[in-house]
Amino acid sequence: MTADNTTPTYVLRYFDIIGLAETSRMLLTAAKAEWTEEHPEWPQEKPNQPFGHLPVLVEKSGAEDEEDFVLSESGSIERYLARKFNFVPTDNKQMARHEQLRDQHLDAIIAFFAQLSLVDEAKKEKREDFDAMLDKVIEIHTSLIRKNDDCGYLFGEELTFADMSAYAFYKLLVMYAVTFEADVAPFVKDKITPEVLHLLRTVESDPLLHEHVEKKGSFVAHILTE
Amino acid sequence: MSTSSFTLRYFNTAGLAETIRLLLTAANVDWTEEHPEWPAEKSNQPFGRLPVLIQKSDDGDADFVISESVTIERYLARTYGFLPADPRKAALQEQIRDRLTDIILAFYMQRVASDDKKNELVTKFEDLLKKQVEVSSQALRENGNNGHFFGGELTYVDIATYAFFKYLVVSVKDMQESVSELAKASLTPELHKLISVIEADPLLAAQVDKTEKLVSVLSA
Repeated sequence: MTADNTTPTYVLRYFDIIGLAETSRMLLTAAKAEWTEEHPEWPQEKPNQPFGHLPVLVEKSGAEDEEDFVLSESGSIERYLARKFNFVPTDNKQMARHEQLRDQHLDAIIAFFAQLSLVDEAKKEKREDFDAMLDKVIEIHTSLIRKNDDCGYLFGEELTFADMSAYAFYKLLVMYAVTFEADVAPFVKDKITPEVLHLLRTVESDPLLHEHVEKKGSFVAHILTE
Repeated sequence: MSTSSFTLRYFNTAGLAETIRLLLTAANVDWTEEHPEWPAEKSNQPFGRLPVLIQKSDDGDADFVISESVTIERYLARTYGFLPADPRKAALQEQIRDRLTDIILAFYMQRVASDDKKNELVTKFEDLLKKQVEVSSQALRENGNNGHFFGGELTYVDIATYAFFKYLVVSVKDMQESVSELAKASLTPELHKLISVIEADPLLAAQVDKTEKLVSVLSA
């Protein structure tokens, strides 16, 4: 068997946490890309990253004489992989719908983490912002699932970037954010609608993500057990 | 062939919308701005927030409505050629712009921080800004110090960087003068060049002419 030295391979550099890398992990797995994860010593490896922070994606072309392509910023990494591996439509308008959803997820997550470092009135206000954004995101997911014939995907009939981003969003809040404030897990779980649960089940049972779920465990099982 | 016209809904400030305004101007499309009553109009927006971009087509298609400032920016930049089609080249611009968003968030966080966290968050903001200035200046130098990040023409990341520094120097002045001063002082020759080249680009004149030039503010 001849070795294919022109297929790109990937390295994802991040911490060994869900954090902001889960969607990228899912994209790489669903793409059936050859990839590994590195957990750099921190902060020692900070100066060796293009912008001094993680995550970082390294794409090695496999061709000789070609430099690695190094990309920072979780959003840029996700969009690069989603486009490269056709998990978003090529039409600009449709692509923008996926991106805006991803940005919405991130805004809500940022609002949660921002209120952690506040106190009193400022904290209360910011937490209310988070609550409102979470409600809105759930409303939108629920509406999209219904409009899409309740097939379980947000758009179309196949796994897309938006689906993976949504799954990672709920997983981050219930399983990662919970380590910062315990009440956020039951708070979010209680709000999950049947349609959102259908989305999570559908994503998790998609054959493209089988390997990811094997490795990381079932988030749906986690939600359903008390 | 259909032509589009755009409505930008936002508040009547630079805020998160200036890059959008500059892109609409550079794209040379028909566009207007609406300043919705707030929070009265909140529930009428797709995600309950601003900015919102509405694209109307004259060939009978439904309006295209999009939220999230940076998604709006990328959509316009891609559609009107200010982001390259090459995915790697586009990603390199997007990552720089994403960093600018991170820095604005860090700016906001140090403003609202509780006393015990203040110093830590101020340092975080200042470090992020310093790194951005360093990385941007190096990229500008490597491109021949012609005021552009890539090649010789106006691109998305040029516009976003210009709008970012204009925000920190001008818009932030009344909120936190120390940050405005820090931003001014941190500008390298490469960034000064970018600011003057971008501000003078004829494609942007209609929007740039609406307010005092950043170049004038910097030389005051």
